[in-house]
Amino acid sequence: MCLGIPMQVVAVDGFMARCEAKGVERDVSLFMMQDEPVAVGEYVMVHVGYAIQKMTEQEARSAWEIYDEMLGDVAEA
Amino acid sequence: MSATARQWLERIRALPLPDRVRIMNVCGGHERSISMAGLRGTLPPQVELIPGPGCPVCVCPEEDVYHAMQIALQDPEVIVVSFGDMLRVPVNLPLKETRSLEQAKAAGGDVRPVASPTEAVEIARANPGRRVVFFAAGFETTTAPVAAMLAGDPPENLLVLLAGRRTWPAVAMLLESEDRSFDALIAPGHVATVMGPEEWDFVVEQHRLPAAVAGFHPESLLAATYSVLRQLVEGKCFLDNCYPEVARPGGNATARRFLDETMDVIDAGWRGIGTIPASGYGLREHLAARDARRHFPDYGAHDRKRAGLMPKGCDCARVVLGKIYPNQCRIYGSACTPRTPVGPCMVSDEGACRIWWSNGIRTREVA
Ligand code: SF4
Repeated sequence: MCLGIPMQVVAVDGFMARCEAKGVERDVSLFMMQDEPVAVGEYVMVHVGYAIQKMTEQEARSAWEIYDEMLGDVAEA
Repeated sequence: MSATARQWLERIRALPLPDRVRIMNVCGGHERSISMAGLRGTLPPQVELIPGPGCPVCVCPEEDVYHAMQIALQDPEVIVVSFGDMLRVPVNLPLKETRSLEQAKAAGGDVRPVASPTEAVEIARANPGRRVVFFAAGFETTTAPVAAMLAGDPPENLLVLLAGRRTWPAVAMLLESEDRSFDALIAPGHVATVMGPEEWDFVVEQHRLPAAVAGFHPESLLAATYSVLRQLVEGKCFLDNCYPEVARPGGNATARRFLDETMDVIDAGWRGIGTIPASGYGLREHLAARDARRHFPDYGAHDRKRAGLMPKGCDCARVVLGKIYPNQCRIYGSACTPRTPVGPCMVSDEGACRIWWSNGIRTREVA
């Protein structure tokens, strides 16, 4: 539950965004990003369904590498 | 470009290290990355990486779990929702009794896992005639989204049983204790993202301990490890930020505002550890109508045998405090495994025992 996942924003509707990571899409709340509006194509760090901060594409990609391994690990558990 | 993991390791190996350095992390995500990447095996033997209080599920008061179970059991019209990990945490009752939220569900309670506060809102919307109680345990990274959810004016039938905790007061307590069990700190990257890295200045300023905020990639963790080791060797402490792109000065201002608007900082209990001053969150007065603690009678049954304690034989409290490693618990891997967890540290994905076990550490060690 406490694992942050970087996601890319594919659509924004008010305070909700459709975000994608590694082919999986999720609805993500942008309610905590009001001081720093988020646009389609940008990357955000998502925690329990809420974007907590923006990040660059490069940071998102390097974070995904390790999540790949972790999610594989969870699937096996 | 930042240095690669190999380069960080080379720099670490080149340092004139003392005989023993204990570096504590306070984040389940850090511990997972460290264990998965096998960082312990790559560092010089003098360097110990100690998992500390990084698991909110592990320290959630046993009475709160019991309370949530009773809410579900007493009135089947109430829906209790919580993060998946919380559903499997056992309370201290005899084995044949209903001992977890999962079992409360099997016994007829309407208990549902959620992955986000937004899902709790959806469930409340879909069930307008029923009360939905969101049992929300978590550190700042989880509690801030709960605050944002509350600030967004959710349906009136959504109540919150809040068990939010703040990370730094637990570290402060450890630093103030007489038998401090670490020499440097790796501060949690996402707590710092939300609350601001400055929250950790006290480690350096008041306790003169090296500290660095780290992200979750092995390179960031090694950068932070190098930073604190170098600070130690050079005798110059400062709070380094090895996750600057995401953990920015001041944190997430919106998130902090929501926390301030909806919650008070309160003294709070940590399972097996006791009360830590200013370490928890409580709903503010204007949200009293949503506060499950005021809405329902206190079902915590504090006079139960072992109420509030860790299970018998379980060393989770000492694991959480970084006093022993997970596999130094007397029942690690024997009575307690992920399949039959005795303590919360083996239940939660952020629990150090669970992380060590799922990364292949199967042998017990004597503390
Ligand atoms: S091995 Fe099990 S009983 Fe022992 S500390 Fe870990 S969770 Fe608690």
